[in-house]
Amino acid sequence: MTYFLTQLANGLSYGLILGLIAVGFVIVFTSTGVLNFAHGSVLLTGAYLVAILHDPIGFWPAVVVGILGAALLGVLINAVLVRNLAEPNPGTAAILMLGVDILLLTELTRRIGNRVLPIGAPWGADVIAIGGVTLPTSRAIAAGVAVVVFALLWYLFARTDTGVAMRAAAADGDTASLMGIRLSRTGATGWALAGALAAIAGVLLASFPAPGVAPTLAISAFAAIPAWVLGGFDSVVGAIVGGLIIGVVTALAVGYEAELHVLGRGLGEVVPYAVMIIVLLVRPSGLFGRKEAVRV
Amino acid sequence: MSDLLRRLPAIVGLVVALALPLLFNDFWLQTGLFAMAAVVGAIGLTLLVGVAGQLSLGHAFFAALGAYTYAWTVGEVGDRAAGLGLPAVLGIVLAGVVAAAAGALFSPISGRLRGIYLGLATVGLVFLARHLMVNLEAYTGGFNGRTVEPFSVPGFSFSNSDPDFLAVAGVEFGGLHRLWYLFLVVVLLAAWLGRNVKASRTGRALANVRDSEAAAAAMGIRVARAKATAFVISSAYAGVAGALMALAYGRIAPDLFGLQLSIDFLVMIVLGGLGSIAGAAAGAVFVVTLPLVLAQYSSELPFLATPGSGGLDAATLARLLYGAAILAVLLFLRGGLAGAARRLRHRRPPRDTGEPPPVAAPTAPTATPEPSLSHPSVPTRSKETTP
Amino acid sequence: MPDPLLLVEDLAVAYDGAVQALRGVALRVDPGSVVAVLGSNGAGKTTLLRAISRSLGDVGGSVTAGRISFAGQDLARRDASWAVRAGLVQVPEGRRIFRDLTVEENLRAGGYTVRDARARREATDRVLDLFPILAERSHQRGGLLSGGQQQMLAMGRALMASPKLLLLDEPSLGLAPQLVEQIGDIIEQIHAQGTSVLLIEQNAAMGLRVADRAYVLEVGAVTAEGASAELAGTDDIRNRYLGVSTTSPTRTTHEDAPVDVPVHLQRTSGARAERLRVEDVTVRFGGITALSGVSFTIEPGTIHALIGPNGAGKSTCINVLGGAYRATSGTVHYGDAEVTALPSHRIADLGVARTFQNISLSLEATVEDNLLVGRHRVMRTGASAQTLRLPHARKEERTERTAVRRIASLLGIEQLLGRAVHTLSYGDRKRVEMGRALAAEPTLLLLDEPVAGMTHGESQVMADVIRAAQQELGLSILLVEHDMPFVMGLAEQITVLDFGKRIAEGPPDHVQRDPEVLRAYLGSAAA
Repeated sequence: MTYFLTQLANGLSYGLILGLIAVGFVIVFTSTGVLNFAHGSVLLTGAYLVAILHDPIGFWPAVVVGILGAALLGVLINAVLVRNLAEPNPGTAAILMLGVDILLLTELTRRIGNRVLPIGAPWGADVIAIGGVTLPTSRAIAAGVAVVVFALLWYLFARTDTGVAMRAAAADGDTASLMGIRLSRTGATGWALAGALAAIAGVLLASFPAPGVAPTLAISAFAAIPAWVLGGFDSVVGAIVGGLIIGVVTALAVGYEAELHVLGRGLGEVVPYAVMIIVLLVRPSGLFGRKEAVRV
Repeated sequence: MSDLLRRLPAIVGLVVALALPLLFNDFWLQTGLFAMAAVVGAIGLTLLVGVAGQLSLGHAFFAALGAYTYAWTVGEVGDRAAGLGLPAVLGIVLAGVVAAAAGALFSPISGRLRGIYLGLATVGLVFLARHLMVNLEAYTGGFNGRTVEPFSVPGFSFSNSDPDFLAVAGVEFGGLHRLWYLFLVVVLLAAWLGRNVKASRTGRALANVRDSEAAAAAMGIRVARAKATAFVISSAYAGVAGALMALAYGRIAPDLFGLQLSIDFLVMIVLGGLGSIAGAAAGAVFVVTLPLVLAQYSSELPFLATPGSGGLDAATLARLLYGAAILAVLLFLRGGLAGAARRLRHRRPPRDTGEPPPVAAPTAPTATPEPSLSHPSVPTRSKETTP
Repeated sequence: MPDPLLLVEDLAVAYDGAVQALRGVALRVDPGSVVAVLGSNGAGKTTLLRAISRSLGDVGGSVTAGRISFAGQDLARRDASWAVRAGLVQVPEGRRIFRDLTVEENLRAGGYTVRDARARREATDRVLDLFPILAERSHQRGGLLSGGQQQMLAMGRALMASPKLLLLDEPSLGLAPQLVEQIGDIIEQIHAQGTSVLLIEQNAAMGLRVADRAYVLEVGAVTAEGASAELAGTDDIRNRYLGVSTTSPTRTTHEDAPVDVPVHLQRTSGARAERLRVEDVTVRFGGITALSGVSFTIEPGTIHALIGPNGAGKSTCINVLGGAYRATSGTVHYGDAEVTALPSHRIADLGVARTFQNISLSLEATVEDNLLVGRHRVMRTGASAQTLRLPHARKEERTERTAVRRIASLLGIEQLLGRAVHTLSYGDRKRVEMGRALAAEPTLLLLDEPVAGMTHGESQVMADVIRAAQQELGLSILLVEHDMPFVMGLAEQITVLDFGKRIAEGPPDHVQRDPEVLRAYLGSAAA
């Protein structure tokens, strides 16, 4: 039982981090219609900045720089590249982001090389144990950070002008611009938010039990894609729930791999996608997604 | 006359493709094989993405399926990770058939999801493929992969043995030469069939579904089935491409069929221009050749560092050029290479066809817009209250 | 004369660089006035508003000539956001409220440009004063409001920016008569508070009631203008909206109409038109009832028209018949088959073909390929035979191209066969879509506004084509159209819808005199 609870606790905390990444996918998608395949390298950029800066300027200032850097990177990708597509549509934008991802990841891989850069987080490698259930301190903090961030996001979208404008623009950009809302501005805000969320997730993911920042960190953003799709493409709540589902399922699949050996080794890698495909079979628009309204 | 002129590029291309092996060394022959395998897959994907407007990142899955199907069906009976010992030609056909069948199994999703949504769902297939390749060791050889039986037809091997020595115009014809022509036949067949599909009732139905599902349904087209059909066709192409890859590599392992392969296929058709078969071929040749050539000739490029030194090595440069090419085409080249070629052709003064001049619009576009993944926006909306 | 608030001079607009939507439009709105622009579907009314509110780019349109100035400022290089800040705010057609946002959040989005907290509070008070219902529903999601409430929310949302000039795009669309009256009153109140209004209406009664001055827009050009009272008195308006004309809708005699259609269409099968029975069909979308208990019958081989003011439910009805929408209750039978139980493609298999109000063609494909899509159902060879180009498949392909050429020549678009659709004019696109539907060899043809946006001459030609097709193929035709002379000249039987209900039915001369119909189109004064 304690083993199960330990797996569950780990799964939930991992799921919350996935949620942070998946929400970034949702915000970029709803604010600019872009399927952001470069989200992983933006995440890596944020984590990389923290890894190289925590020594000279201290961990917390480095985190601030990392978050701002990733946010700025997102804004620049949108302003310089996405908005200048020769044929702007979701398909070409998605492929553009594949190109951006290749460029960023190649450059970061060249800089990092074979090293694993420590993230320098003050919580180190401690573990919390409550009644036999153990959880790395870093993961407990990650869960707390994620919950606070989600609360801030809720406040932004429900209570501020900027947030309401972003939701209006996402729901019907054409009409929103008739209200004087500048779609270029809501788009930039969306990319900045997504970049910041990715950087936060990057720092949390590079903390213990992970060894530090390595190019493979970018791939972790891919693990959030099932969470995003599961939640339904355009729903922030869906992305968070999707993250939790994928986190827990992954943790359980890894924790009970021995019992599930008939399904083969390395189950943790494939289970999120298997869950995603099963959900799509039943609900093509995801758990929280709106069905596309057909206009004739 | 004009017909001949129109076909001239294709004829010249064919003659060049036939003659190249006489000039090429093994490196270039091998590169050519990789490129031709990719061309087949890219043609299939451009039918799905360009014609039917459906995105797929699952092509690596179907290529893997084709590759392992070929390796297993043609592999010798008996030892570890062996096979059925079937004829090689049958192996290639089966590679396409098995991939198509797997694509058909995916119909409940490929028939219902649209555009980029399908693209995301198919990401899952790549991870599924990896899991299967690693775990089904008896067929796949697991993580380390398995060797691939060389292609042969009775009495004639496509390896360097048997017949021991064959020469044309003084050039010795080894296994690579022979494979080159085999691949060329498959590529030509793939292009011909692809063009026919595009121009057929099925192709027109697919394009109509891409442009308006409601209009397509009103014309009696089964929209879900049309989308699933496009997916099956392109899966079959990917399966055959996988078999060719297996032959070109001689040994296959799970790492060859990662997400990167899916992305590469997508990049090929985008560089070439969505929906264009010649464009897909050109894109495939570029994507495959670039890293191989840079690696091969890196020692002769003074600004390149050795791998691992942290400087700009050949592989890194290839990746950067690859990424930059994607950006350049998407930002500056409407319709990819095919679109650019079309515009070049149209820039010449058009022949006088006696047609009335285009509508009295001051800014008539000079080039055909390319098929896009999104659905064209409609100037006016329904006048009535809809949900 | 005071300086105009809004001045439009010699405006021309084109979509996708090819389709000319407006030409030479001139219009002025003086401070403190209400101006109406009247016109039928496809006349370019919405395009005009979008050009003024700087939102054409979103739908692929661009100004190709002319000048628009607002309060003395040239709008050429300004965007929509600038226009809102300058006091030029548009309420879009079809309300377009943010359905998932609450009423309060909708208003908040409308007041986005107002940075001063006090100004915003005052605007909110004003709006809630004008629309008390919005205060009651403040925390409800916009999508749950009724149609009339949604219209009020859309107007309130725009008023949050305290505009100098309010642009209203068909505010009466799909609203019940008493609500239309109420919206009219509200416009007068808004006007009384010092806001100028530019109103686009198909409901001529409503437009002429509230406006000081009106313009009539037809096929992209202004064809009449004057004080509302004067315009309302002319026969011209009555004629245009009801087709009660002195020059009777000519059957064939028109200078550019082919008097005799020399082309013969053939059926490849012996399918015959059947009786279409629409019984008690109701369609609801959320809180809005688009069709309510509508019944009518189309006898085999006849031309039946479905008319009614905008928002009456005509397109909804055609969409139910074509399978694009599901009926909430009621049934439609074509012969013995129950259409309401079938998906679109199965309905097509029954021999039902249709055109769309917002032309739905493959823009990059050639005219020929678009027409060949219509042959989808008729073609018999399998996909593999076609892919391998087997002899019988090639033969069929040739036969089909000949068949399509015949249809094209009937429609007068033979010389366009090789052209990509995106290079064609609006009228030609309408013809291609008609051709695609005819290519399917239907026994029942559903035409959703086949001549919208066409000139009188063009629509006469279209009428001849429709009649020829009907006679040669023994088709039944259901026609939804606003062009009354066209409808009255063509239809044998007419069903009139208003606010989702059937209000009249009968032959043209009977319907033209029906007081209910007159009232629906021209308002109570006219009847």
